[in-house]
Amino acid sequence: MKNQPNNPSAPTGTVLNIQRYCSHDGPGIRTTVFLKGCSLRCKWCGNPESIRIKPEIAYDPKKCTGKKCGLCLKSPFPEGAFYFVDGDDEHVKVNWDLAMDCDETHASLCPTGALEMFGKLMTVNEVLDEVEKDASFYRNTGGGMTISGGEVMLQPDFAAALLKGAHERGFNTAVETACNVPWANIEKVLPHVDTMLHDHKLTISERHKKWTGVGNERILANFKKAYETFPNTEFIARTPLIPGVNADEEHIRAVLAFIKPYKNVIDYELLPYHRFGLGKYEMLGVVYELDDYKTPSDDLVKRLQAIIDEAFGRSGPKTPAVK
Amino acid sequence: MSTEIGHAGSLRRIAINVGAGYVPGMNAVIMGAALAAGKQGWEIFGIRDGFDGLLHPERYPDGGMVPLSPQLVENLDPAAGGILGQSVRVDPFHVRKVNQEGMVEEVDMSDDLLKRLKAENIDALISIVGGRGLSIFYKLHRKGLNTVCIPRSIENDIAATAVSFGFNTALSFTIEMLDRARQAAQSARKIAVVEVQGSQAGWLALQAGIAVCADAVLIPEIPCDLKNVAGRLKEKISPRRPYGLVVVAEGAKFINKPQKEEPASSLKASLSPLATGEASDHVIKRSGQAAETVATELQLLIAEETYPLVIGPWVRGGAPTAVDRQLGLAYGAGAVRAVRVGKYGMMMAFAPPDIKFVPLAEAINKVRTVPVDSEFIKIARSIGICLGREL
Repeated sequence: MKNQPNNPSAPTGTVLNIQRYCSHDGPGIRTTVFLKGCSLRCKWCGNPESIRIKPEIAYDPKKCTGKKCGLCLKSPFPEGAFYFVDGDDEHVKVNWDLAMDCDETHASLCPTGALEMFGKLMTVNEVLDEVEKDASFYRNTGGGMTISGGEVMLQPDFAAALLKGAHERGFNTAVETACNVPWANIEKVLPHVDTMLHDHKLTISERHKKWTGVGNERILANFKKAYETFPNTEFIARTPLIPGVNADEEHIRAVLAFIKPYKNVIDYELLPYHRFGLGKYEMLGVVYELDDYKTPSDDLVKRLQAIIDEAFGRSGPKTPAVK
Repeated sequence: MSTEIGHAGSLRRIAINVGAGYVPGMNAVIMGAALAAGKQGWEIFGIRDGFDGLLHPERYPDGGMVPLSPQLVENLDPAAGGILGQSVRVDPFHVRKVNQEGMVEEVDMSDDLLKRLKAENIDALISIVGGRGLSIFYKLHRKGLNTVCIPRSIENDIAATAVSFGFNTALSFTIEMLDRARQAAQSARKIAVVEVQGSQAGWLALQAGIAVCADAVLIPEIPCDLKNVAGRLKEKISPRRPYGLVVVAEGAKFINKPQKEEPASSLKASLSPLATGEASDHVIKRSGQAAETVATELQLLIAEETYPLVIGPWVRGGAPTAVDRQLGLAYGAGAVRAVRVGKYGMMMAFAPPDIKFVPLAEAINKVRTVPVDSEFIKIARSIGICLGREL
C-alpha cells in the first residue's frame, strides 16, 4: 500500500508532527498525527506551536551559533527581525513582531537548523505512508493512528480522509478533540473514528470562557450529540488538571454526571498539568500566561482519580493517564 | 508617508493612546500632549484601552475616543492613574477574537486600524509604550501610520533614551521598600534578599542598592558567583552588625550555579507534539525565583539565616514622583512638537538636558543595560557594595 500515487484532488492538511510509539492516545501502540490550528486559547496550553493554523517560524537558541554566523541579520531576512545585543551574549535575539513574516525559504537558509518551521502541508497518502511504518506494532497491540492537535476538527476534510484511509489500511483510529467547532465538522470526522478522546476542561461556562476564550455551551451540546449520534464509537472523557482552575472534586463530579448516562463513554481520564510547553513558548516568542501554575500534587490526583474509579466501578486504583 | 493618513494642513487632529502595562505618570504625559496640542489649536483625542476604543467603538457607550478638551485636561490630576485605560494586549497585527463560528483566532487588524484613523481624520498618533510596543509601532509606521512613541519603562531598559518615564517612581518606591527590609533584617538579625524588577537590565537594583548602601547587588549584566557574595557577607556580618541586605534583580545570572528549575515532568511525549527533554530544559523565570535561589544558596554557604522578599510588580502602582511628572509632561509636549515638524516614526528621548526625538529603528532590538565600566558600577564598588564578582 506504500507509495500509492497521490490523488491531486485529495485534501492536504497542515501537519505539525507525526510521533511514533505513543501509548496514551488510545489502545495499543500508536502513531499520533498532530494537526495545526486550534479554536481555543487555553491559558495553560502546553503546545503553543499547535495554536496557529499556518506554518510558522521558530527559533531554538541551543542550535544557534550566534555571532559566529549572523546570516539571519542580512537580506533576505526581514530587516530588524534578528539582532545581537552588545556584550558577551553570543546568541541571536528575535524580534518576534518582525520575524513573523519569515517562511520556509528563510528557515532553509539557517545553516544550523536553529530556525525551523513548525508545521507543513502534507497529503493524506504522505501521512498514511509514515503511519504505515509501524503497522506490525498496531497489529500486535491493537493500536493504530490517533489524530491530535491543535483541534483536529478544524481540518475536517483532511482528518476524515486520513481516518478513512487508516481504516482502509486496517488501523484502529482515534482522535483527540475539544469539539469547539460547528457540528458539521464533527459529523464529517466521527464516522471514521473508533475512539474519541475529548476534553471536559471546565464545567461552568463563565469559567470556561475565562480560561479558554469561549463558553462551553456548544462544546457540551456537541459532546452530547456525538454520544447519541454515534453509539458504536467509544468515547473517553479527559480533564487536564490544573490547580486553581479545575482540579477539584466539584468539576470531576460534574463531568461524571454528564457522561455516566452514556454507555459508550467508556472512561474518564485525568491529565495532570505539566510544564513541557514553556521551552516551546520561548521558541515561538509567545508570552506564557500561566507561568506560575503548579502541577497538581500526587495526593490530589489520587483523590480525584478515586472518585472516577468508584463511578466506573473499579475496585483498584487506576493509574492516571500521565505520570 | 504623512499624506497617507488624515489630512495635511495647519488644523490638525491627533490622537494619543497607551500601551499595555501600567506605569505611574500616564496622566502627566496625556496632559503634556493635550496642553501642547491645544496651544497649537489642534484637536486631540484619547483612544480608550490601547486600540480598543478605535477598533471596537461599540464596546463604549460614550465612544471609544475621548476628546481631550482644555477643560478636561485642566482638571486632570497628573498624579493620578491614566484616564484612557489600557488593554492587556496592544498589537493590531494579532487581535484575539471569537469569530462568527465561535472559534478563537488572532486576526491582523492593522489595515482596519489605519482605515479607522483615516475615517476619523486623525493625522498622527502619539503612543505611550514599552519596549515591545516600540516594535509594533515601528511596523505600523512602515505601513503608513504617522506615529510618535513615548518610552515608558519601570526597568529603564529602553535604548536610545537616558530615562524612560516611570523609572524614577519605581526607583523611589524600591528605595523605600529596601529601607524597610533592612530595618526588618536588623531587628530579626537575618539577611534580607530582596528581588526587584529587572529581567535584562539592572538599573533599578543597582541605583536603589547604592541609595541604601546594600551589602550586595546582583544584576543581569554581571553574572555573579554566590561564593564571592557569601565571602563578602561573612566579612561584614559580626555580633555588632548581625544582619545583611542583598538586592537581586529578577534576571540576575549566576556562575557555577544552575537556575532553579521546575522538575522535569514524566508526561509522555505523546501528549505534547514537540516536547523533548531539550525543549523543556529552559523554563520561563517566574517572579520571586531569583530571590529564592540567592537566599537558599547563601544560607547554605554561610551560617546565617536568610529570607527572600519580592517587591516585583508593586512598583507599578502609586503616584509619580516629581521627576516622572516633569518627564511625562515634557515627553507629551515634545511628542506634539515632533508632530508639528513632521517627524514621524520617532521615539521621544531624554538626552540631558534635552528632550529630543530619535528614529524608532534606533530604539528597537536593543536593551539599555548597565555598562560594566559605568559610573554607577564604580560608585557601588567604591562604597563597598559587592556585585557578585570581582572584575
